[in-house]
Amino acid sequence: MTLEPTRRGASSSVLNVQGLTRRFGGVVALDHLDLELAQGEILGLIGPNGSGKTTFFNVLTGLYTADSGSIRFGGTEITQASPQAIYHAGISRTFQRSRLSLPLSIFDNIMIGNHKRLNQKLWFNLVRRDAFRAEFAASFSQAQALVEVFDPPLAGRMFEPIAGLPMIDRRRIEICRALISEPKLLLLDEPSAGMTHEETAKLMDDILVVRQRLTGLTIIIVEHEMGVIERITDRCIVLNFGRKISEGIFAEIAADRQVQEAYLGLQ
Amino acid sequence: MAAANGGAGSVLPGVTAIALATAFLIVLLRVENQTAIISLLAFGLAAVAVANWFGWLAPVTRSFAERENALDAFAVVAALVVAAVFHEDHFVLLLVCTVLLYIVATLGLNIQFGYAGVLNFAGASFFGIGAYTAAVLNEHTAIPHLLVLLIGGVMAALIGSLLLLPVLRTRGHYAAVVTIAFALLFKTFLEVNDVLGGPQGLQVRSMKILGWSFNDNFQIGGVKLSFYISYFLVSLIILVLAFVLVRRIERSWVGLNLDALRLDETAACCFGLDIVRWKVTAFLLGNFLIGIAGTLFGMVGGFVQPNNYTFADSLILVSILLLGGIGNPWGVVVATVIVVIVPEKLQAIQEYRFLLYAALVMAVLLFRSEGLLPRPVRRYFPGWRP
Amino acid sequence: MDFGLFAQHTMNGLMLGMMYALVAVGFTLFFGVLDVIKFSHGDVLTVGAFTALATFVGLKSMGVASTTVELLAMLIAAIGAMAVLGAVIAKAFVLPLRAAPALNTLLITLMLGTVLREAVRLFYPDGANPKPFPRLLPAESVSIGNFNLRLDNTIMLAAGVLVIVGLQLMLNRTKLGLAIRAVAQDEETAKTMGVNFSAIVLITFAIGSALAAFAGLMNGLYYNEINFGIGLYLGVVGFSAAIIGGLGSIYGAILGGFMFAALQTIGAVALPFASAYKDVFAFAVVIVLMAWRPTGLIPEKLSERV
Repeated sequence: MTLEPTRRGASSSVLNVQGLTRRFGGVVALDHLDLELAQGEILGLIGPNGSGKTTFFNVLTGLYTADSGSIRFGGTEITQASPQAIYHAGISRTFQRSRLSLPLSIFDNIMIGNHKRLNQKLWFNLVRRDAFRAEFAASFSQAQALVEVFDPPLAGRMFEPIAGLPMIDRRRIEICRALISEPKLLLLDEPSAGMTHEETAKLMDDILVVRQRLTGLTIIIVEHEMGVIERITDRCIVLNFGRKISEGIFAEIAADRQVQEAYLGLQ
Repeated sequence: MAAANGGAGSVLPGVTAIALATAFLIVLLRVENQTAIISLLAFGLAAVAVANWFGWLAPVTRSFAERENALDAFAVVAALVVAAVFHEDHFVLLLVCTVLLYIVATLGLNIQFGYAGVLNFAGASFFGIGAYTAAVLNEHTAIPHLLVLLIGGVMAALIGSLLLLPVLRTRGHYAAVVTIAFALLFKTFLEVNDVLGGPQGLQVRSMKILGWSFNDNFQIGGVKLSFYISYFLVSLIILVLAFVLVRRIERSWVGLNLDALRLDETAACCFGLDIVRWKVTAFLLGNFLIGIAGTLFGMVGGFVQPNNYTFADSLILVSILLLGGIGNPWGVVVATVIVVIVPEKLQAIQEYRFLLYAALVMAVLLFRSEGLLPRPVRRYFPGWRP
Repeated sequence: MDFGLFAQHTMNGLMLGMMYALVAVGFTLFFGVLDVIKFSHGDVLTVGAFTALATFVGLKSMGVASTTVELLAMLIAAIGAMAVLGAVIAKAFVLPLRAAPALNTLLITLMLGTVLREAVRLFYPDGANPKPFPRLLPAESVSIGNFNLRLDNTIMLAAGVLVIVGLQLMLNRTKLGLAIRAVAQDEETAKTMGVNFSAIVLITFAIGSALAAFAGLMNGLYYNEINFGIGLYLGVVGFSAAIIGGLGSIYGAILGGFMFAALQTIGAVALPFASAYKDVFAFAVVIVLMAWRPTGLIPEKLSERV
């Protein structure tokens, strides 16, 4: 299978998925999925509810194990790797239902995503308080700068608990949590859920701004809002019943009869 | 940088609050008449309610948030003042030691349950392991007693590690049963085991440090002091160390990790958190603190017996934590003072304390689940500004 | 081992197993309808046993001499009172905390258990000490070889079987049972089908608690002694039994109860020093089982939505 040229100019392959299959009892949630992703690409993953999009993310991030098939990330096999190892390898994600820790502050939530770049030694944390203070201050500046891209006023409220924030801000923080560790691959699971059109458009623009700064960031986005998909993706894959039924730029898949049927069939 | 001027909170409201609370405590400990005690307690409750009504508690909270280090030091001074006032009074000093050591134990529970969310309904058992360690080692060995304290903590952590596998593999309700079963097992074991004295328990030899026996009254400059003053000082030092440890845990990435795994294990492992490592750390560290507190408590009390380390006692520790506000060490301090001192002073309720605290915790869960002093959002360095 | 001793141990194990099973079924019922563990369940059993005892004492003081009347009255009083208590607990403490973290339900029922246990210890006359429980069932026995088959034990076992069969029939053959199963299957769907959710929860808690009262009475008649701590013990063991059998399954709970009793009986026979350590052994088994099968032999379906 050859890689299709993309608009933003692809370089090497970042993610290579072959024959990925996952069953739940009798239901085949992912059915021999093949997928190739070039560095810097934005891939849209669409399909009706229950077509396997989130399952794909969960298998990719190691929460579910694959029944068969393989996932190679940056040339390394990660099919059986733990979620922790996959995060360390440079994949991070957001969740369909926002999974922030509500009682914790904005800063704390973002730092959860920064795990691999923080010194986790007990001695460092508990005894060497000056060194810890320096790391803390540096991390704070980074987190604040990142939040500033999305919403400058929010950056002034870093020690406020998430519980008091509206949905749009929660989405922003969740994306900041995924981005703070400068991953190579970002998985966005329905970032527009619970937000208005305008809010979604603004959020997507902000994500693109961050992407400019993190050179080479590759993104897979699961999304129901076709406006978003059309505007920001380089290429799309359509899933139905866990199987890939179409692939191409948005205009192509939108014209695909099979895709229309898959969506219409559900309505 | 800006900590000293402008926006920084004043230390004054906090100091005032601690001073008033200490004065109240001294009066409460001094009074013997039961009616007077009841009136005093009612007055205390009313005073807090009034202060809350007029919004006087907000500056206190701010003061603690911004200037905590200074206030921590002041609280130690307050504890010393209480001890100085009652320097001759065995009973009160024993009570104060009990409060201090219960705080240490509950701080241990707070690491496990308050931060990591690892349930432990066998707190009193690990406390007891420490106490029995003291009884055995002080009797049969010449190990220096400060080292015995450490060994007591290690023993509690070691025996606790037997539960690691079931605790790590189970979640929520299931994990609760593991520790409940252990609490019942522990007490039954002590009762049927002759080596450890059976139901009668064992005597614990008093503490000696560098030849200084803790069970002798002594004099300084003509002032007679109760022997409990020595125990009080050691307990206070241990409490200060434990408090600093818990604070540093909370205000570091370690505390963040524990919170993250308590609140959402799935999300936490998607961001690289090693669930097992941190649960184990929290469980062992917590039991270590509980064990040390128990070891010293055994020496203070002079004897150990199975009836002091029952499941009901474990629930008292949990009650303290819930009442004070899960995750807030200051809440633990306030709640322990209430839970330990009130039934000692109010003889009428002494017998009913398990029942009363259980009912109180039920009320807390139904109406104010964050406890008396809800845990504030983490500030890594109090008063720090970017 | 000779036949007599073997039969004796078997009978003993069956009696234990029946009590464990009755408690375990309660846990399973509650978990089925509400997905909660009610930790006060064991202490409801204690209160049930003491209610029965109080009824007996009351009747005696009124001059009632017929053991049949006494037994019936005790049965009705204990079962009725505990059914009400179970429903009240559900209404006042369990349902209000549905929106709160599951941990809060655990804690509140744990504390409620303490309140019940302490209330018995403090307010029942001389409740802190073990209380003798009357022998009310015919004590004749049939000798088979060197094994004495006691009539009272046989009656209790048979009654236990009847209760469990009755429960099964109720769950599988009646409208009420259907409603309970519907709620256990899927709360939302059951609601849309017109099932009164709260009412079904209360009824289920009443039924579970009535079973506990029955087990409490059985415990008293079997050992001829009760104390305020029996429920704590039976609660922990019953809960473990429910887990071994897979929470949510009635058959599993029954199986778990008898399995646990079998393990305990075998342990007591196999380990010579074990008689004193009987309870230590039982609790150790609980812990080991949890480590071995944290969600039971029939694993609970863990379908967390990510």
